[in-house]
This record gives sequence, structure tokens and C-alpha cells, in this order.
Amino acid sequence: MKKSKLFMGLGALALVGVLLVAADHIDAPGAMGTSADIADFYAFEPTEGSDNTVFAVDLQSNVLPDLAYGTFDENVLLEINIDTNNDLVEDLVIQAIPRDGKMYFFGPVAPSETGLNGAIMVDAPLGSVDISAETAIVETTANGVSLFAGPRQDAFFFDFFQFNEVIGGTAPLGFKPAGDPNSTDDDDDTAVDTFDGANTMSIVVELPNSLLGSTTGQNALGLEVYKTWVTTNVKQ
Amino acid sequence: MKYKNIKYTFLSLLAVVALVSCSDDDDNTPIVVTETCDDGIMNGDETGVDCGGSCTPCEEAMAPDFTGTYAQVDFMGRPGINTVLSADGTIKDAHNVSIPSEMAATFQADFEARLEAYHDVYANILGADPAAVNYENNILGLDAPTLTGYLAADVLEVAPNLPTTYFLPGEDVDMDGNVLNDPAVIGLTGRTPQDDVIDVSLILLFGGADGIRFSGQDTDGDGVADLPRLTSDGVGQTATVGTTFPYLGAPE
Repeated sequence: MKKSKLFMGLGALALVGVLLVAADHIDAPGAMGTSADIADFYAFEPTEGSDNTVFAVDLQSNVLPDLAYGTFDENVLLEINIDTNNDLVEDLVIQAIPRDGKMYFFGPVAPSETGLNGAIMVDAPLGSVDISAETAIVETTANGVSLFAGPRQDAFFFDFFQFNEVIGGTAPLGFKPAGDPNSTDDDDDTAVDTFDGANTMSIVVELPNSLLGSTTGQNALGLEVYKTWVTTNVKQ
Repeated sequence: MKYKNIKYTFLSLLAVVALVSCSDDDDNTPIVVTETCDDGIMNGDETGVDCGGSCTPCEEAMAPDFTGTYAQVDFMGRPGINTVLSADGTIKDAHNVSIPSEMAATFQADFEARLEAYHDVYANILGADPAAVNYENNILGLDAPTLTGYLAADVLEVAPNLPTTYFLPGEDVDMDGNVLNDPAVIGLTGRTPQDDVIDVSLILLFGGADGIRFSGQDTDGDGVADLPRLTSDGVGQTATVGTTFPYLGAPE
């Protein structure tokens, strides 16, 4: 069976410490497999013409055995950083941290300090939402902000095994060709999404662009953009 | 501060000690117990457990504690940057505790070296001189220092007033050797969960000027691929993504 073979493969890889997983999943020794490990980050317009922006952050992953997964850590602050003037320094932050079964959100607000250390912006509460189990619990605030926190499918897709073969120099043909996505064949000739069946702990915020304001940032094509990134931060 | 002598508690403790004939350290020193606002029981003039009275008002005490300093331990902008372009654990860890305004200066040279090292892997497999198989300017017309400098400043751009497209290469309409300023090109306006970010990254890193430099070509027509397939990993999305908030599918 494909799944069991996949799992054996994953276990073997974990044992020998070959843990090169994108997008940011278990990426570095210092953060790998901890409750603060960022797995992925999405930022998008929810529907064409919408005046909202969605930020979705995945923490933790169960794609490999023995990784922290399933519980948001009360000592870990998630911060979505937004640069609105093209200098790669955060002008606004949106923060999320769990307390006793709820995820509390703050911002968007100018942080008390930029850089590697920060504090929770308690004077700028955005709202809170009960942390979901299987079924999504969504909170919508009076100013049109939607909030979610809980386990979700990992939307990332990548043939991670073959990537390791490619960069290790053991795959002369490179990546494998696409196969029938519905095939259950146990063959080694076509590509396999390593993240099929994996879950992650997601935090999703959708908010009106008016709460973020205008931006003078530009991308390489000269289009107006917010420049954004996410960090996890541990209480000292 | 509040004090009280818990005589009865002491007596009952002695009784327990006597009953179980425990250790021999049950001397007769009088015990004075201090009531505090963090002893986990409602005592003194408290109106709730460790709150009210001379302690913090109960409403305030029930509010979550958000105090303290929080220090960065992990970082992410564009997908796959740290994973693919940092050569080892030391660089990956350093990247996770750095800030975007300093990243290009700190990591560009390491990223460029890594990009060349990937090309050397295939030079060796193809039996070619590694020094002769190098990164080739990509479909954006970016050379290796420019591309790796751009990627090293690791932020995800999202346009507030445009449709989200991670990257969709267009045609080189103005015939200047790249698609960077051609009107058909859209992208760099965000990332949806459906975007195939791995294939885009592979095209930009290994695709060369036409985006298909290493894509499994059979160059001598013998029916066998002579070049590796490096511009697509061959997989599409298997997870469910919805059209309404929170978009990401229920756990499997």
C-alpha cells in the first residue's frame, strides 16, 4: 500500500535526520518540530475585486512522526508583520496567542518595537475565537474581521522524497513525471505529494484593507503591495 | 498580608502522621501559614480564589496574562526560501532569527553559492565540468546575484487591490530576452493555498531564459531523456481548499 510505504519512508528519513521540507515545514534545527515551528504562510485576496485580505499561517505539522502537533502553545506568540512603505521594516503587526482554549488577536497596530523582540499589543485587541476541533468555529467581529484557529488540512503539496534524491545527486532524471492523482498503484515511476493526508495547526485572519491602510511598497513588476512575513516568538 | 494559625489543620495532619506511622521528622514546631493571593485557595478576605478583598479584583484577575517579552524563533516570508537556498542548519537557524531589512546583505552570497551547488550536482551526473554548468538568467531576466538578492530579502508581497497570483509567466512581447516588463506577466501579488509555488520556484531557479532549460528533454532523439527534469516536481494539490472562510479544509 502506498500509505504504509510512505510512512516507512518517512520514518527512515526521520531516523537519519534528512528533514528538508518546504515550504517552511520543519526547516531548521533550532525550530524544527517544536510547537513554534512555522509550516506555511499564505496572503491573498479572497475573491476577485474583494476589499479584504486574508492571512493564513500554519504552525506545526504531523507530516513526520514525533513532531509537535495538535496544541497551540500559550508561550508562543504568532506575529504577522506588514511593511507599508517599502523599507522591509514592519509598520503594522497582527498578533495571535492562545489562552485557555481561545485564540486572542491584536492589531493591526504599529508595534511597540520592531525587530526580534516584542510585546503583546494589549491596548489594540482585534477579537478572539474559540480554538476549533474538527469543525471550524469562526468569529466575525463588528468591524468585519473574521477569525479562526484550529487544525486544518495542510494545503501544501510537494514531492519531498524526490526533492531529497534530486539535491542528493541520486536522481539522474530529476523529478518524476506527474501520475494519475487518483491512482493507488504502488509504483515508483510517478510523483507523490508527500503532504497528502497531513494536517497542521492553522490561524486565519480575514480583514478589510481599510484596517491596513494604503501602501507605497512595490513589487518587481511595479505593482502596489504590502510586504509581509510571519514570525513565531517565545515568551522570555 | 494576612496570617492565621491553622490549628485544626495542624492537628489533623498530626493525626494522619500518627495513623500511617510515617517518618520520624514530625517534630512539634508550631506552624504558621501565610495566606497569600496565589495559594490557590479562597481564604482571608478573598471573594474568589486568590482574588477580591485585599487581592486583585476578581474580574481583573480572571483576564488572561499577556505580559512579558517575546523573542523571535522562526520566520517565514516566501515559501521554500530558507529550506531550499540555505545550505546547512547553521544558516537556516540564522535566517530564522534575522529581520528582512538585513537579510539580503546577510544571505545573498550564501544563497548564490547554493544555487550554483545545485547546478554542480547535475553537471556531475551529466558527466560535464561543474564549472561549465551554471545558473542561466531566468525568465525574468535576472542574473544569479540579482535573483538570490531578491529572494534573500524574504517577504511575501500581497497586493490589496489586485487579484492574487503568485507568478504566472507571460510572453516576451517586447523581445528583450525576458518577461519582466511585458504586459502579459502578472504575479507577485500574493499567495493562495492553491498556488503551485514549488514549480514556480523550480522554473525561476533552473528554467533558464525560456523556463524549460532542464525539463527532461530528449536532446538526441533516442527516446531517452538526456536532461534532468528540474522545472516541475510533478505533483498537484491533494488537500481540500474551500471558497469561504477559513478556506483551508477540515483536518484529515
